Amino acid sequence: MIGEHFKIAWRNLKKNKVYSFINIFGLALGMATTILIGLWIFDEFNFNRYFTNHDKIGQIYQNQGSNGDIGTGEFMPRPMEFVLRESYTDNFKHIAMASNRESQYLKYKEKNLSRTGNYLQEEGLKIFEPEIIKGVENGLIDKNSIMISESTAKAIFGNEDPIGKIVQIDSGDNMIVTSVYLDFPVNTSFKDVHWLIPWKHYVSQSWLRNSVSHWGWNSFQIYAQISDNLSFPKVNINIADSKLKANKANADYNPKIFLLPMKDWHLRSVFENGVQSGGRIENVWLFAIIGAFVLFLACINFMNLSTARSEKRAMEVGIRKAIGSDRKQLITQFLMESLLVVALAFMISILLVVVFLNPFNELASKEIQFPWANGVFWICSMLFIAFTATISGSYPALYLSSFKPVKVLKGTFKGGKLSALPRKILVVTQFTVSIALIIGTMIVMSQILYSKDRPLGYNEAGLIQIPALSKEFNGKSDLMRNQFIASGGAIEMGTSSNPTTRITSTRGGFTWEGKPEGFQDSFVWTEVSYDYVKALGMEIVEGRDFSREFATDSSAFLINETAQKYMGLTDPIGKLLKYPTPNGSEIEIKIIGVVNDVITDSPYSPIQQQFYVFDRNDNNDYYNLRLNPDKSITENLSLIEKTLKQNFPNLPFSYEFIDEEYAKKFAAEERVASLAMVFTILAVIISCLGIFGLASYMAEQRKKEIGIRKVLGATINNLWLLLSKDFIMLVLIAILIAAPIAYMVMNGWLQKFIYRTEISWLIFISAGLGAIVITLITVSFQSIKAARANPTKSLSTE
Amino acid sequence: MITITDLEKFYSTEEIKTIALNKLSFKVNQGEFVAIMGPSGCGKSTLLNILGLLDDPDGGSFVFNGEEVSKYGERQRANLRKHNVGFVFQSFNLIDELTVFENVELPLIYTGVKPDERKKRVEEVLEKMQIMHRSKHFPQQLSGGQQQRVAVARAVVNNPKLILADEPTGNLDSSNGNEVMNLLTELNTAGTTIIMVTHSEHDAKYSNRIIRMIDGQKVTENVLV
Repeated sequence: MIGEHFKIAWRNLKKNKVYSFINIFGLALGMATTILIGLWIFDEFNFNRYFTNHDKIGQIYQNQGSNGDIGTGEFMPRPMEFVLRESYTDNFKHIAMASNRESQYLKYKEKNLSRTGNYLQEEGLKIFEPEIIKGVENGLIDKNSIMISESTAKAIFGNEDPIGKIVQIDSGDNMIVTSVYLDFPVNTSFKDVHWLIPWKHYVSQSWLRNSVSHWGWNSFQIYAQISDNLSFPKVNINIADSKLKANKANADYNPKIFLLPMKDWHLRSVFENGVQSGGRIENVWLFAIIGAFVLFLACINFMNLSTARSEKRAMEVGIRKAIGSDRKQLITQFLMESLLVVALAFMISILLVVVFLNPFNELASKEIQFPWANGVFWICSMLFIAFTATISGSYPALYLSSFKPVKVLKGTFKGGKLSALPRKILVVTQFTVSIALIIGTMIVMSQILYSKDRPLGYNEAGLIQIPALSKEFNGKSDLMRNQFIASGGAIEMGTSSNPTTRITSTRGGFTWEGKPEGFQDSFVWTEVSYDYVKALGMEIVEGRDFSREFATDSSAFLINETAQKYMGLTDPIGKLLKYPTPNGSEIEIKIIGVVNDVITDSPYSPIQQQFYVFDRNDNNDYYNLRLNPDKSITENLSLIEKTLKQNFPNLPFSYEFIDEEYAKKFAAEERVASLAMVFTILAVIISCLGIFGLASYMAEQRKKEIGIRKVLGATINNLWLLLSKDFIMLVLIAILIAAPIAYMVMNGWLQKFIYRTEISWLIFISAGLGAIVITLITVSFQSIKAARANPTKSLSTE
Repeated sequence: MITITDLEKFYSTEEIKTIALNKLSFKVNQGEFVAIMGPSGCGKSTLLNILGLLDDPDGGSFVFNGEEVSKYGERQRANLRKHNVGFVFQSFNLIDELTVFENVELPLIYTGVKPDERKKRVEEVLEKMQIMHRSKHFPQQLSGGQQQRVAVARAVVNNPKLILADEPTGNLDSSNGNEVMNLLTELNTAGTTIIMVTHSEHDAKYSNRIIRMIDGQKVTENVLV
C-alpha cells in the first residue's frame, strides 16, 4: 500500500513539473537553511567539548562591588592560588595558574614568528590534557622549556625534529622545545594557544616578584578541575568568601569568588552587576528562531500550493471515496505524498549544504565539517524529515480528505470563497515573518553603523601601533621618536603601556582631596610618554599636556573628562593623588591637565574614567606613530621599518593600524548581521517562491474570467491590476502586523547598548516598500502572462 | 434487496428549500436490472447517490439487504458501500495517474485483498472486459469506450451485489454505448443487480423495469417483457 502511495505521489510530481519544482526547491532551501543553522548551533554548544574533563573544568572569577556596581572579572591576585590550594583542597582535583594570552616572537635560526600562547603551571596539563605527538607528556618541568603546537612546529622547524631545539623568546631567553602537541581545535577557548611556557619562568621575572603577596594585583588567571564527587554550585558555595576571609583589607569591595564552568565560557560569559546574564547564547537562540521561521515559511509554501491545487484533486478524492477509501486511507496517502516531496527536498538540501558549507564557514568564522559519519546526525535527519512532512502535509491531507464525494463527482467542484481564507492567512504569516526579519536586520545594521560613526575622541586614521617586543625598547622612546620623525615616515610618536584600542590595566585604592568616605574607586591606568596626546590627536580640554620643559612632569598625570566627573573635581588642575605601588609604598602625582574622552574599549559602552600617567621609567609597551600624510602608507612603513631595524636588527617589524584594530570590535556584530541578512534573503526568496506558485495557480483558475474581461474591453493594465491587487492587500496586512512586532523586539534588543541608535521610521517604510515591490515583481510575471493570453483559447474550452 | 419508503431529500439555501426527493417509494429485487428515467432536475442522480450510500436521506426509510441504513453515519455507509456496491459513471472517473491495471485494482486494495489475490482477480476481470492488452496504459491513452470498459471492470472486480450506473453511455458513441450496455446485461444475467439512470430510451430497453420520475416523485413504473 505504501508503495502504491509513493508511486502515485511520484507520478503527480512528474505531471505538474512547475509546482513540483517550486514545492521541492522551496522546501529544500528551507531545510538547507535549517540544517546549516543546526550545524552552527551544534558547533556552538560543542565548544570546548574536546576536553575530556570539560564538565569538571572551570575558571576562577570574582565579583567585586564598587559604589553599588558589581564588576565581574577572571583576573585574580596571585595569593588566591595559595588560599585555594591550602584551605579548599577538598574542592579541587587540580588547580593551575596561567598568564593572560600573550604574543611572543619565537626565534629559531632565520625564522622569527609571532605566536600567541600562555604561561601555565604544570598541573594545567592534567586539566587540559593537550595531545602530545612528540616529546614528553609533561613538557613544563624545566623552567626554560617550551611546548609548541604542531602547526607552530611545522612553521618554525619544517621537517626538522623540534624536540631538544632551542627557541628564543621576546625576553631574549633561550627555551628548549620539550613537546609538540596537537593544535587545539577551532571550537575551543584555546585554539590560539600555540606555545606553553612554565609558570615558574613567568613569575621569575623581576617585575612580578612582588606579585606573590599582592592582593590588589588582579592580573592572573586560575583554572581548576573540581573534585569528582562535587558539583559547581557546591564548590561555589564553599569558595565564595575565600578572598574575603584571606584578606580583610578587601572587605570594602565585598569580593565573591566563584568558578565559571567551562561549558559557560563560550556562550554565557556576560555578567551584569555580578549576575550571569547571557552572552553568545543570545545569538544561538536568535539563529535557532530564524532557522525555525525559515523552515516554517517553506512548510507554509507547501501547504499553500498543495491546498491551492486541491480542486484539481477533488475528483480523485471523490472517486476513491466512492470506490471504498475511508478518510484515514486518504490522509495516509496524502501524508505519504508529503513524505516523498520532503525526502526529495532533503536530498537536494544536503547537496545545497555541502556546496555552501565553505562560504558559510567563512561568513560565520567557523570550521564546521559535514557530519557524514555521525549516526546521530542521520537519525536526527530522519526525524527532521518525518517532522517536516507531518507539519507541512497534515493540513493539505486533512483538507483534501474532507471532500464529500457527492459534491465532487459531478466534476464541477469549486472551493468556496472561505476555502481561500486559510491560504491567505498563510501568505500573510509568511510575509509578516519576512518583513519582520528585514526590519530586524536593518536595525542591527543601523546600530553597527551608528556605533562605527561614534567619534573616538582621537584621529584613528593614519595611526599605527608597534608593540615593544623586547626590553631593548626601554629607555629609548625619545631617541626612537626623533629617528622616526627624521626618517620622514612619521610626524609624531608617543608611547603607552596599554594598546590604544583595549583596556588591559585598571587600578583602584587612590586617595585625593574630597574623595568620599568609603568610595571604591577604579580607574583605567595608562602610562604614556611626552607627545602621546599629540600623536593620537587628542585634545587638552583644561590645563596642559606633558612637557619636556617641566622636570616635575615625571610625577604628573592627565585625567579624562569622565574621570573629572567621577572624582567630583570642579577645579582639577594642580590636585594631588596618592596611589599604592606593588611594593607597598605610596606615590603622589599631580594633575596637570584634562583630556577629552576617548573610546578605549567597547564602542557600545560608556567611556571609563582614565588616568594618563607619565611613564617616568620609559617602560614603554607600545609605540603609537602618526604616519606622514605627505607620503603613501607603503613608503611610510618602509621608512619606519628601516629605522626600527637600524636600532633593533634582530627584531621583526610588527605593527597594527589603529583604525583596523578598532574596526575589529564590530566583527562579532557584523558577523551576526551578515548571517541574519543571508537568512532574511532566504526567507524572502522562499516567500516569493510561494507567491509565484499561487499567482500561477490563480491565473490558471481565472483564465475564463480573464478571457471574458478581455473580450469586453479590459486592457493588460486592467487585468494586471485585477490579478495583483489581492496579493498586494495581503502584503499590506503583513506590514501592519510585522512593523509593531519588529519594533517591540528590536527596541528591547537595543536596550542592551548604552550607546544606541534611534529606530527610524524610514526603516519601516523601506521594508514595507521593498516587500511590495518584490511581491509585484514576483506576481507580475504570471499576471501579465495571463493578461496577454488569447481569450478565444480559454473561452473555447468551456 | 432494496426497499425505499417515503424517501425524502432537501437542499436548502438561505432563501429557498428545494425538494429533490419527495416521499419516493419503490423496491428493487436481487437480480433485477432497473432503469430510472426522467427530465433533468427530477432527482435521478440524487436518488442514485442515496442508493449508492454516497449520501443520506433527510427522511423516509432505506433498507439495503435487510438493514435499515437511512440513519447510518459516513463510516458505516463507506464500509457497506465498498463491499456491496460498484459504480459506473458517465465521465468514467478513472484516476489519470494510475494505469488500467491499477485503476481496477483499487477497490481490492480498499477491501484489504492480498496482492497475489488482487493480481489474479484483476487479470480475470480485465480479460473478461477484453481490455487486458491495455493493462499498462493510462486512461488518457484509451478511447472513450475502452475507458468505460475499464470503469465497468473496476465496478465489478469486488463482486458487488449491486451496480449503480449513472448515464453509462452518455459520453460514448452508439457503437461503444451498445458495447457497454451489452456488458451490463451480461453482468445482470450472471446475477448482479443493476440500477441505471439514463436519458436514453434505447438504453432503458436493456433493463427489465423502468421507473420514471418527475419532481422527485415516481410517476410511472413499467415492467419490460
